[in-house]
Amino acid sequence: MATERSTRDGSWYGDGEGVNQLRGQLFKWGCLGAMLFGIVMVFVLLAYVAIDAIRPLTADPGWHLTFFLTLVAPTSALLGYYGLRDRRSGLVGAIATALPAFCLLVGAGISLLLVDVFRPIEWFGTAVALVVAVGVVYVHRRLRTEPAAFERPIVTVGALVLAVVGVPGVVPSLSQLFRNAPIALNPATMLLYSFAVPVAILTGLAIARRRESRRDGLIAAALTVVGGVLAVIAAPAVGIDDYLLIVLSLSIAAPTAVYVEGVVRERDHLVGLALPIVAYVGTFLGAALVEAYGFAGPEAWLDWQFLTSAHSRFPQEAGIYPALVGSIMMMLVIVVSAFPVGVAAAVYLEEYAPDSGTVGRVVGLIEMNIANLAGVPSVVYGLLGLALFIRYADMNTGSVIVGGLTVGLLILPIVIISSQEAIRAVPNSMRQASYGMGATKWQTVRNVVLPESIPGILTGTILAFGRAIGETAPLLMIGAAAVVFSPPGSFAEKFSAMPRQIFAWSHEPSAEFRYGVLAAGVVTLLVVLLSMNAAAILIRNRYQRRS
Amino acid sequence: MSEEPARPAFAGENRTRSAKESAIKWFLFVCAALSVFVTLAIVATLLFDAIEFFTRVSPLAFFTGTNWSPKIGEAFGVLPLVTNTLAVTALSALVAIPVGTASAAYLSEYASDQVRSVLKPALEVLAGIPTVVYGLFALVYVTPALQAVGIPVGTFNLLSASIMVGVMIIPMVSSLSEDAMSAVPDSLRQGAYGLGATKFEVTTTVVVPAAVSGIFSSFILALSRAIGETMIVVVAAGMSPQLVPSPFGSIQPMTSAMVQLATSDLAGGTAAYYALFAIGLTLFVITFSMNVASNWVASRYREEYE
Amino acid sequence: MSNENMTAPNPETEAENDDDAVSPTPGSGAVDAGDLETATASSRTVIESRDLDVYYGETQALDDVSIRIPEKQVTAMIGPSGCGKSTFLRCINRMNDLIDAARIEGDLLFQDKNVYDDDVDPVALRRRIGMVFQQPNPFPKSIYDNVAYGLRLQNKTENLDEKVEQALKGAALWDEVKDQLDESGLDLSGGQQQRLCIARAIAVDPEVILMDEPASALDPVATSQIEDLIDELAEDYTVVIVTHNMQQAARISDKTAVFLTGGELVEFDDTQKIFENPEHQRVEDYITGKFG
Repeated sequence: MATERSTRDGSWYGDGEGVNQLRGQLFKWGCLGAMLFGIVMVFVLLAYVAIDAIRPLTADPGWHLTFFLTLVAPTSALLGYYGLRDRRSGLVGAIATALPAFCLLVGAGISLLLVDVFRPIEWFGTAVALVVAVGVVYVHRRLRTEPAAFERPIVTVGALVLAVVGVPGVVPSLSQLFRNAPIALNPATMLLYSFAVPVAILTGLAIARRRESRRDGLIAAALTVVGGVLAVIAAPAVGIDDYLLIVLSLSIAAPTAVYVEGVVRERDHLVGLALPIVAYVGTFLGAALVEAYGFAGPEAWLDWQFLTSAHSRFPQEAGIYPALVGSIMMMLVIVVSAFPVGVAAAVYLEEYAPDSGTVGRVVGLIEMNIANLAGVPSVVYGLLGLALFIRYADMNTGSVIVGGLTVGLLILPIVIISSQEAIRAVPNSMRQASYGMGATKWQTVRNVVLPESIPGILTGTILAFGRAIGETAPLLMIGAAAVVFSPPGSFAEKFSAMPRQIFAWSHEPSAEFRYGVLAAGVVTLLVVLLSMNAAAILIRNRYQRRS
Repeated sequence: MSEEPARPAFAGENRTRSAKESAIKWFLFVCAALSVFVTLAIVATLLFDAIEFFTRVSPLAFFTGTNWSPKIGEAFGVLPLVTNTLAVTALSALVAIPVGTASAAYLSEYASDQVRSVLKPALEVLAGIPTVVYGLFALVYVTPALQAVGIPVGTFNLLSASIMVGVMIIPMVSSLSEDAMSAVPDSLRQGAYGLGATKFEVTTTVVVPAAVSGIFSSFILALSRAIGETMIVVVAAGMSPQLVPSPFGSIQPMTSAMVQLATSDLAGGTAAYYALFAIGLTLFVITFSMNVASNWVASRYREEYE
Repeated sequence: MSNENMTAPNPETEAENDDDAVSPTPGSGAVDAGDLETATASSRTVIESRDLDVYYGETQALDDVSIRIPEKQVTAMIGPSGCGKSTFLRCINRMNDLIDAARIEGDLLFQDKNVYDDDVDPVALRRRIGMVFQQPNPFPKSIYDNVAYGLRLQNKTENLDEKVEQALKGAALWDEVKDQLDESGLDLSGGQQQRLCIARAIAVDPEVILMDEPASALDPVATSQIEDLIDELAEDYTVVIVTHNMQQAARISDKTAVFLTGGELVEFDDTQKIFENPEHQRVEDYITGKFG
């Protein structure tokens, strides 16, 4: 193949036929442009809907100026500093700032349940009953050191069931007994016992484990209870019912305090804590100043009135409250049903299922089946819910429990698949170490695999819940109400959920509904979704970094 | 204070422990098998009620009829619904497939780690937005925008809905295609660079052809999602099925028809009620077979490198 | 990449090359007896490096390498792992550009032009230099398309069938695959795949073929086929081969360069001299297996 060639080829440099790069550059920028087209379009639409909901342009210039000076400028300056100099502190600061806000959302959700679904006395009764049940199990354990085959699980489950549920129709549960007993306690006291004390115990445990000191844990628990009492005392001044304030304040204060304590104790990026201080002080200062100077804030569609009212013919008075409560109740049903079943299925498929043989092949079919189920349209799941729960099992049309079970079935494959991935990610060496010490399979799963994989499982599950909260089609099929004027009183009542309510509003002819109320509803839904996704991603990042 | 065991400590407790272990294993198995139950339940309800429907309306009339007006004229021809579904899918594919594949190529071959860490989450945001919100975007923002530019679309139209369906499935195409492209071994790229290929040539003549099965399977999966998409079309595309759909007017695909039947006052036992399940069965069969096809195509590519 | 302390600069190796001008070099058929002109032409330097240093981030991979590689001969580069042999190879066709952290100082000349000059297009450069990798990496395309790939890239598609046939013959693969050109390149055995990669490289008629341990992933039979092939290839191309296998280097190469720790080129000379009577003690120690 030797051909005559000159010593110097000349084709690869200078004015030789350099390879044309134009096509490549056009392709690269074209691809980037296409991707940005999709992303920018959606973000522009999100901005539109946020502006329509909040209408920042209707506020006084003075209002804007005040908040710019007290909040926006200092916070941005700090963020810029973090971005350039100290990224980790910025992350700590962001978490410390977002945590109270996120806990406020969670606390608000719990408060909603207390106001409209479970009354304080029901919480109280359940809490006391649970304490009694735990006591029974503990005593049983101490007395019977050599239990027969299934004695322990039977006693545990039995005690819990009798305490909370009882035998329907035959034996009233312990919690019901407490509820009906003539105890003269006001709601605040009841909640102090049934909410503040459990939170105090959790806080105390977290602190005790971290500081490795039982005394510190007890101090933390005591401080939490004191905080609850302070909330009761301060309630009239703040203007919120005292038992609600207990829930709100402890929901925000306990996790935030635990997080901040961790940061302070390890002296880890303390500078980051400047961010929440600047952000919150700035917000309060700004709010006080606009109050003092009388600047009018934006005439937002998304305001307190929107969040606490029910639907109305008049756009100014319409609100999303019943739908919000409905969504929360539906999520409760899903958490109780889809989450345990999904994780259990994932544990089986990853830990117990054989790979070969007949059972192995059946298991392979099950896994393929689950993957295919994840791709079935949501409207078909709605149809399944209609046929299975409403017609066959004769449950109430459009009730919370039917909605929860149907959407739960929808996200079940997603929960299973993501839990499987999390369990698979646990290194095999850990399992081997456990088996090597003579642990049984269940002991290994319970003590080694599950704790290791919980962050991953939680991440995947929270993302699945985010999907569930936005699903509309199944709710339409099972007959969820288009409009309700009050939240559902029980789980068997007809309900509406946020996306369902939003969909109903889209049929309203008036422009104010379409561009105002609708936008407010969409933003509410998106804020809830965003916080759930952010929490999931944060959990994933936190535990990925640790390992 | 325990007495000396007559047998060694590691024998004998077996029976209790293994009974407990067995029970746990069976409980977990039941949870896993629940998924099979769900599939069977779906198939059973769809099948039985669809069969009930076909005793009242002949399958021929259903599958070849061109008029769908279940309440007014008792006409149950499903063809308009099918063509409308195909129209939505085709138009959304025009948006999603180019944008998704281009995004995947950029993210996999051109983007630096920093850029990728910003753009990938941004794309995931698109996947997380509820479909009812997309529907509202189409109705409230996109349609007026199209009208402002001079495109003669009605309040409810196929075009806006399809655009938003396309945008919604972009992350599916992009993420799966990117996985496929990233899985192409780097040694192939090195070989091409060694022969004097530019990055563009490496991407288009080596990487994409090597990943084509995975890319193709992502297309099928995304299109299956578009076929099953409900809320965007219900909100933004209207409720009148057209045998030959026009992008500017209102249409009604299969999913939308199901919602309409379910939310209207239907007496149980009428043909209209059972029609719901007949459409549901058709929809289920189409999407299920597309998902299976996508898996099959994807599994083919796993053999290509060995 | 080991980062041993830097030893004293390697002794001049350039002076030794001039002695080869007339004496016959073993193993290559490039010298016509009695033809002084051809003899001079056959020792023309195709690739030359002067004081070449390469850093990956903070680690130094090549230390002050100066070498002149003659045309149409097989030059082997041997040495323990991590001593910069592959790095040097990849500098020649600027494949190291693909690694962000790589930094090059010094000069590397191909056809008497520094390949790192600003007006050099690395893509065009790589079209004049062929590369064969350690792991055979044929594209998941047909055998025909694999060989034709480079030709199509350069738009040299006239008489494509003939060129493909010539390349496959030049890689000693034609007889085995002439009836299955449409089948996938991945269906071939390891040794056949590597020969396919060689065919793919020579199809575009490069001046130099760089080979990075081309036989190390192959079984002994395939290895010996590759070695025979390299012998033939040197009649038409300059071959630079990195190898772990000293015996292989002794068998097939005309000249040998020994790289030792720190990316240092310790000695470069005729193969026979290196293996029978090297100048440096360290080289002798390496050859006789005292380390590495």
